Amino acid sequence: MSGAKKIVWTLLIVFIAMQFVQPVHNKSEQVLATDFTKIYPVPDSIQLILKRACYDCHSNNSNYPWYSNIQPVAWMMARHISNGKDKLNFSDFGSYTNRRQISKLKGIANQIKDDEMPIASYKLMHPKARLLEAEKEMIMNWMNATADSLSSSN
Amino acid sequence: MKNIILGAAIAVTTLAACNSGSDKTTDAKQSDMHSDTSMAMHQQTTDTTTSKTAAAAGVFPAREIIAGYLQLKNALAKDNGQDAAAAGNAMVATLAKIDMKTIPEQQMKSYMEVADDLKEHAEHIGANAGKIEHQREHFIMMSKDMTDLVKTFGNGGQTLYKDFCPMANDGKGAIWLSEVEEIKNPYLGSKMPDCGTVKETIK
Repeated sequence: MSGAKKIVWTLLIVFIAMQFVQPVHNKSEQVLATDFTKIYPVPDSIQLILKRACYDCHSNNSNYPWYSNIQPVAWMMARHISNGKDKLNFSDFGSYTNRRQISKLKGIANQIKDDEMPIASYKLMHPKARLLEAEKEMIMNWMNATADSLSSSN
Repeated sequence: MKNIILGAAIAVTTLAACNSGSDKTTDAKQSDMHSDTSMAMHQQTTDTTTSKTAAAAGVFPAREIIAGYLQLKNALAKDNGQDAAAAGNAMVATLAKIDMKTIPEQQMKSYMEVADDLKEHAEHIGANAGKIEHQREHFIMMSKDMTDLVKTFGNGGQTLYKDFCPMANDGKGAIWLSEVEEIKNPYLGSKMPDCGTVKETIK
């Protein structure tokens, strides 16, 4: 019994110690010249959806909920964000080559069509990220149309 | 009661243990914006089938890249996502081995335009063995990249056929390259294996 007590105490101390190791937050108010909204004429309706459902993991400016300061949640989030930005970063969209931009635009439409994005675990914690069918339709149409206009201007 | 507390505590530490390792890689990634390349390097170790001869000899491995693409195309035509993924990973490995010094200056620009995109599609196809429709979405764009790559670097000494199927890509149509004149549709597979026509012969 005292052995179990020892374990509980050790774990509690580990848990508290963990709280002191906080990853750097992905926060930047600065809107780069390469920002998605700077390089394309993105309608407000689209922008709002993207900010609401995508930007937390796919931009340089995440919105952090209160529990994001508790470990190990913060580490998991930092990893998600880093992975997300690797694949697609709206803040840095203009730095992709023209061809890659087209690929990304089509990729966004496909991911939404296949219901792969936003990912389920994120939607679970962020009800606002759940997209209505009409919103999905709007995003897909706009992404595909933009991709097509870029391909034809090439 | 004790058991519950103990269970909860164990769960917390397990989670922490799982994440402490990845946390380091996160930091490393953030410091290196071009982690794409390092990822490709990792995947390189998973595949040893592609020969090193082309890169070692200082020649651009156009033939190897095309071979990888055709293997991928044939896997998709057979509705085989596993083989497609393996071929995708092999392509990533081939692309990662490319020595930039082997690319002539006048071809550098078109190579740079295609390289990142092509690698990314290969990575996605490699990572999605269980999702053949997702692999096919990337294959549409990869085929465009390959067509341009062949335009720049030639067909590697192999006659290629540029095929087009109007029903692929949700009815918007898509192209692909093939080594045989007979149509073997990689987008529709067994559903409509012979949908498409040869648009161009690249000799």
